[in-house]
Amino acid sequence: MTVLSDIRHHPKDLTLAAYAAGQLDEARSVVIAAHLRLCAKCRLAVADFEAVGGACLETVEPAAMSDSALDSFWLRAGKQEAAPAPASILAANDFALDAAHPLARYLKEGVDAIAWKNVAPGLAQHVIPADGYRPGVLRLLKISPGVRIPKHTHGDEELTLILRGSYTDEVGEFRHGDLADLDEDVLHAPLATGDQPCICLIATSAPLRFRSIVGRIVQPFIGL
Amino acid sequence: MFGALARRVTAPRQAAKAVPADPDRLNDLLLLVATTADREAFNALFAFFAPRIKGYLMRIGTSADLAEDLAQEALLKVWRKAKLFDPAKASAATWIFTIARNLRIDAARRAAKPVLDAEDPAFTPESEPRADEVMERQSRDEKIRAAFKALPAAQYEVVRLHFIEDAPHSEIAERLNLPLGTVKSRLRLAFEKIRKDLGDSVE
Ligand SMILES: [Zn+2]
Repeated sequence: MTVLSDIRHHPKDLTLAAYAAGQLDEARSVVIAAHLRLCAKCRLAVADFEAVGGACLETVEPAAMSDSALDSFWLRAGKQEAAPAPASILAANDFALDAAHPLARYLKEGVDAIAWKNVAPGLAQHVIPADGYRPGVLRLLKISPGVRIPKHTHGDEELTLILRGSYTDEVGEFRHGDLADLDEDVLHAPLATGDQPCICLIATSAPLRFRSIVGRIVQPFIGL
Repeated sequence: MFGALARRVTAPRQAAKAVPADPDRLNDLLLLVATTADREAFNALFAFFAPRIKGYLMRIGTSADLAEDLAQEALLKVWRKAKLFDPAKASAATWIFTIARNLRIDAARRAAKPVLDAEDPAFTPESEPRADEVMERQSRDEKIRAAFKALPAAQYEVVRLHFIEDAPHSEIAERLNLPLGTVKSRLRLAFEKIRKDLGDSVE
């Protein structure tokens, strides 16, 4: 597994805790899981939060199982063949690092096969509904080098992971593996840098709000 | 310490069979199951965890029948996948928490829309853990457990609600009649405190 040691932008603690607690919607879970594949620091943080979850589980008021629970368990377990050890999930589906395993369910052919839809000069997007569990939307944006997205803010619940290329904005430089978990009031205007398009994976649980942001992003281009 | 004990309410019927929440003992039991498929050890794990997983699922609105079924399924995973339990990555309670959590999410997914069964990230066979890594993780989990139990009551409550009730921040706020910002700051303070107790630097 590739681990990027120079990741500089990470999810907030509250976001990682919500992930460990199983509270995030599908879209944000996918984005966090994709970041975790690249970030040892956040994997440790999630393991710690899962330990909090383990401690919490021990405090749950038990609900008595039925009297025959253990008997039916062994009846069921007796019939089960031992599962073959799966190949490491870390190796599975590792087609072009960009489409890390958590994304594979949504991008079967990988990032290179995306049917991009142009929304403005230098800006294309691909939208994937992530409605398996707590609906959300996954959105891939492709920003051509040198293109700047007009100033906008993000919802509190939006996460952006850089899959390829890089951009700079008021917050700093974001490169492959970096994740923007911005406060609601951060106003930024990302500029795609380098010589390849910047591809971002964005999760939002509030699609309507996001549409209006894209509207505002697109508007100035249409005005050209 | 007494606060933590007072909070732990045990159902009378299970009380006789229940293993005390001694993390070292739970870890030893799971390792026995992993290495020798010891059924007695597994029965003790079952007695401790099945009612708690059922309780966890019922608290978030799962019917008693489904919760019992999912608790069975969780313990079935523990039995079948015990060989993949990696003590360098988690203690027994933590590992079993992630199994129960993933089952809960999968059950919700199945209810929303049938999807292919994703490989459960709780099972990631890797190279043999080194003994020192095992020690480090186990003692880290132990410190986290102690730090969690030592949290001020107000923080303890929001953390606990966050992890075992299926409650996003906004719902916790509603339930405790607190502003959303207060819930978030209590969580943040709690996590900072846990981190400080671990000896990690707080950023
Ligand atoms: Zn990170």
